[in-house]
Order: sequence, then C-alpha cells, then structure tokens
Amino acid sequence: MAAFGKVAWVLAVAALLSACGPRQPQAGSGGRKTIAIITPSHDNPFFKAEADNAAARARELGYDAMVNTHDDDAHKQDELFDSAIANHAVAIIVDNAGADASIAAVRKAKAAGIPSFLIDREINANGVAAAQIVSNNYQGAALGAQEFVRLMGEKGSYVELVGRESDTNAAIRTQGYHDVLDKYPEMKMVARQSANWSQTEAFQKMETIIQGNRGIKGVIAGNDTMALGASAALKAAGLAKVLVVGFDGSPDVIAAIRAGDIQATVLQPAARIARLAVDQAHHYLTSGTTGAPEKQAIDCELVNRANAGEFGVFARK
Amino acid sequence: MTATLFRLRALVALVALLVTFSCLSPAFLSAANLTILLKHVAINAIMAIGMTFVILSGGIDLSVGSIAGLAGMIAGGLIDHGLVLRPFGVVVYFQVWLVIAIALMGGALVGAINGLLVARLSVAPFIATLGTMYAARGAALLLSNGATFPNLAGRADLGNTGFPLLGEGTVPIWLMVAFGVAAALVAARTRFGRHVYAVGGNERAAQLSGVRVKRVKLLVYVISGICSGAVGLIVASQLVAAHPATGQSFELNAIAAVVLGGTSLMGGRGGIGGTIAGALVIGALADGLVLLGVSEFWQIVIKGIVIIVAVVLDQLQRRIQWQPSVK
Repeated sequence: MAAFGKVAWVLAVAALLSACGPRQPQAGSGGRKTIAIITPSHDNPFFKAEADNAAARARELGYDAMVNTHDDDAHKQDELFDSAIANHAVAIIVDNAGADASIAAVRKAKAAGIPSFLIDREINANGVAAAQIVSNNYQGAALGAQEFVRLMGEKGSYVELVGRESDTNAAIRTQGYHDVLDKYPEMKMVARQSANWSQTEAFQKMETIIQGNRGIKGVIAGNDTMALGASAALKAAGLAKVLVVGFDGSPDVIAAIRAGDIQATVLQPAARIARLAVDQAHHYLTSGTTGAPEKQAIDCELVNRANAGEFGVFARK
Repeated sequence: MTATLFRLRALVALVALLVTFSCLSPAFLSAANLTILLKHVAINAIMAIGMTFVILSGGIDLSVGSIAGLAGMIAGGLIDHGLVLRPFGVVVYFQVWLVIAIALMGGALVGAINGLLVARLSVAPFIATLGTMYAARGAALLLSNGATFPNLAGRADLGNTGFPLLGEGTVPIWLMVAFGVAAALVAARTRFGRHVYAVGGNERAAQLSGVRVKRVKLLVYVISGICSGAVGLIVASQLVAAHPATGQSFELNAIAAVVLGGTSLMGGRGGIGGTIAGALVIGALADGLVLLGVSEFWQIVIKGIVIIVAVVLDQLQRRIQWQPSVK
C-alpha cells in the first residue's frame, strides 16, 4: 500500500507539472515570443538599469521578457541559459559572468538555435555570440582622466583606486587612465590600491591612505561606488576639497556631483546599450542578420558639474 | 614562560606587526593613523565579540555579515522613507535613537531564529546560520529592491537627523571598548558567562549539572545578532548610505579574529580579550599593507598565512599544556 501511495504521489506531481507545462511561454503566452534577459545582481543600479531597459524595449517590440540574475556566478548563468533554452526563448540578452567562463553557455544556446546578444562585457571568443555591444571603457577612461588632469591643473599628487584586479574592465580603465595621466610629469601618483569595486572597502582604504599622504590633491577611482566611498572618507577627514573622479555615471554619483562632493564621472550608456541589443535581436529574428558587426563599442560620456542636470539613470534624460 | 608567550601569541604578533610597520612607514605610528586603525578594527572586533560567545558555546554563526547588511538597510529605509502604514495612509518617521533600536532588534530577531533552530530544532549551527545568512541577505535586498539608500543624514524638518554621528570620529572605537568591556565582564564574571563555557566544554555534563543549555544557546546567537546589527549601523553611518551587499564576507574576518585570539573552534576555551587582540592583528595587517602600497593579492595571501600559523600555534600550545598532566 505504501508503494502504491508513493506511485500515486509521483503521478499526481507529474500531472501537476505537465499541467503547468503549456503555460510556460513556449511560443509565448498568446503567441508572444520570449526574450531572456540575464544580468548580474540588481543590487547594483547599473545592472538593474540594463535589465529594466532591455525588458521595456522587448515589451515595446511585442515580446515577453524573462528577467534573471546570475550574481556573477558562471554556474548559475549556465543554469539560466538551460532554462532559457527549455522555455524556447527566441533570443538571450546577457551581461555575462566571465569572459572565458561564459563561452560554453553562449555556444550551447547557439547550438540550440538561440542567438545571444552580449552587453556590457565581452567574451573571449568570436563568432559565437550574435553581437557583443559594450561601452568603450578605454575611451571613457581617457575621457575621465583628461577631466581629472584639467581639474588638478595638470599637477599635484593623487591616489588611484582600482577595481577588482581580476576583472578585465578594471585593467582597461586603469590603462586608459594612465595613458593620459602619465603624460603629465607633474602629476604624481602617491598610492594605488584595489578596493574591489566596493564602497566600504574604498572608504577604509582611503582613510588609511590619507594617513600616509595628507597632501593629496585628487582621487581617481575605477568606478562610482569606490568614488563614493573615497569621497565619504575624505569628507570625514576634513579633506572635502580633494578632487574625486569616478566611472559609471550612477545616479548616486550624479547627485553627489550636483552637490559638489564629487567632481566628475564617466557615464556608461547602459540603458542605450541594452535597448540597442534588443533592437538588434529583433532585427536578427525578423531578417536573419543583426545589421551590425559582432563587436560594437559605444562611447561613454563625461558628466561634470556643468552638465550633471542632463543625465538620468545611465542615460541622457 | 614559553606557555605564557603562546597564550598571548596574538599580542606578540601584534607587537611584532606594530614594530615592523613603524620601521617601514613613518606614518604608521602616528596618532592619526592609529586612530583610523582602531576605527577599522572596531567594525570587525564588535562582530567578533558576538561571534566569540557563539564559538565558546560550541557553535558558529555564518549569518553575521548578512545581519549587518540587513540592520543597515532597516535603518536606511526608516530614515530615508519612514515606515509606510498603507491602511492608514500615513508615513511615520522615527527619531534616530528609535531607528537604531529597531535595527538592533532586527539583528536580535535573526539571532533568535538562529538560536531557536540550533537549540530547539537541533539544526547544526553551520547549516542553520548558513540558511539565515542567505535569508537575511535576501531580506536586505528586498527592502530596497536592491538599491542603495543614499542619504542617511536625515532631514531636520522630520526630526530624524544625527545618524552619521554613530560612525563619526572616534565613536566606533568607544563603541568597541564598551562592547568589549561589557562582553568580557559577562563572559568572566556572570553565571551566564560560566554557563557558555560549560556548554561549549561539555554539553552533556553542563546539562546534567543543571545548566539550561537551550537557553544559553539561544542567548549566544541573540548576542551575536545584536553585535552584528551594531556593526551594520556603524558601517552605514560612516558611508552615510546603506547598501544591501554590505557585510559580505565579514563573517570570515570575525571568525578569523576569534581563532587568532586563541578561542577554540570546539568551544569551551578562549575569551574576549584574545578576540580583540586577534581583530587588532587582522586590522593592523590590513592597514599596514595598504600604507606600504602592497598589492591586494599579497594582502590576501599574507592574511591566510597568518591565520594558518595561528591555528598551528594553537595545536602546539595544547601539546605543551598537556605534557605536565601526562606525567
């Protein structure tokens, strides 16, 4: 009897599951096709802006949007690709979890006939994704560094806060900064530390760095959260006059620029890139091509006190 | 003599670090730098103080970092947006001391859940607190839908200014001193303190001699929750912003401080003084290496080696202590 009971349970669960099956957007509910949107965790407003904009654009074009986050875990990303394939998504928009670790997932989707459109971060393989649209980190860094040089008056000692050193974008940005800054012999870097993109870590490391270098004139940070952390530490130490430049163009930093706490940042057009990726997916699904080369770099924009009012959430208003 | 040196190894290591760093960097031994150093230590030390009670009782608390994040977000939400009571159509803004109390109660509540899971439902502490680690982090993210509460300075017209004071200047250091003194007194001078050691040393024997083991276990997690909540509030106050990811991997630093301080992960042996010394070693190491401009990667490697050396010394110490009793 017990065995019979177990079998009955299994059957009941199976029946339930199969009853749910057709409701999954197979060809989409009401004939609408699904676009899967996969990004890192939404606890960073940047990724939230990406996901929100991609989903909004997808719905405008008549698709269903399936939004998920991989939390920078390549394994979780792989599972999300599996469920996108299982749900018969027609395209995947992804801000991936690692340049090498993501190649297999993208290739798997391609084999299943689903094109992937990469945003924000590239993968180290060509011809696997239908498109790789990223913001031009190098151009943006050069832009930020030029503004930093201008603010510093081409001289003085400064501190650089680098992002997570294992991250490609951290390397590209610091390269972009130094290709400009190192041309000015009177600009002197007195400390360089990684704060792992983190506000708390930037705050603590800045507090310590100040102790050895009270005469610093500026801080250039690899992203906005570190710029915010550095700015809070400088303010607490009575060094509010030290210039701070960030990177990303987050709403918090734009507010800080308007308040005069931070002097400049470089806005990554996350919203535009996300919408562009959906547009190209639509183009691909309707005509068979994206109408653009695979690798595309979209230029960043400088935000400073003069134009801070013109920007919204990772986009021009 | 050797045994005493072993017992005070965290202090010995601390002195060695202080001497080394002050030789290598003139700024290290300045009053200003030591103040900053203590401020950074305070964050880890307060969390590690709560953790010490849990570990002394034979448990472990992995949820402390998430509790810190959650407490910060509770405070951030209450200051930025107030408590929205939809059915009545009103928004209540609390004064800052009340906000702090509510956030600490949030921490205590998660701690109580840990305690109930461990004491009443006999869930292994590692698993119970691993679960609440995820749940509390998720709750912190849900509170703001993942966003940061950007301005915790409060508004004068709402009467909720003053929150940044908690992390200002030397306040965190004095909080560490207060937590440390209170905890040391509780651990060494109260019945509850002796019971914590008893439960960690031999739970069965403690039970048989009339210790209310379940109550002791519940309370140690509540203490840990409150300490972690306080840490979350200090971090949020220093940044004048509450971020839901705050406190990630803090639990590992706290456990490292406790272990470095000579408290046994098996429970029953150790104390608050050692934990504070352990936190000082980790803090001095981190800040000193930053001041010297050492790469982040080396900082991590060195920290790992220090922890391993500490545990190896712990084993050696036990051997030294055992020898006389063997004879």
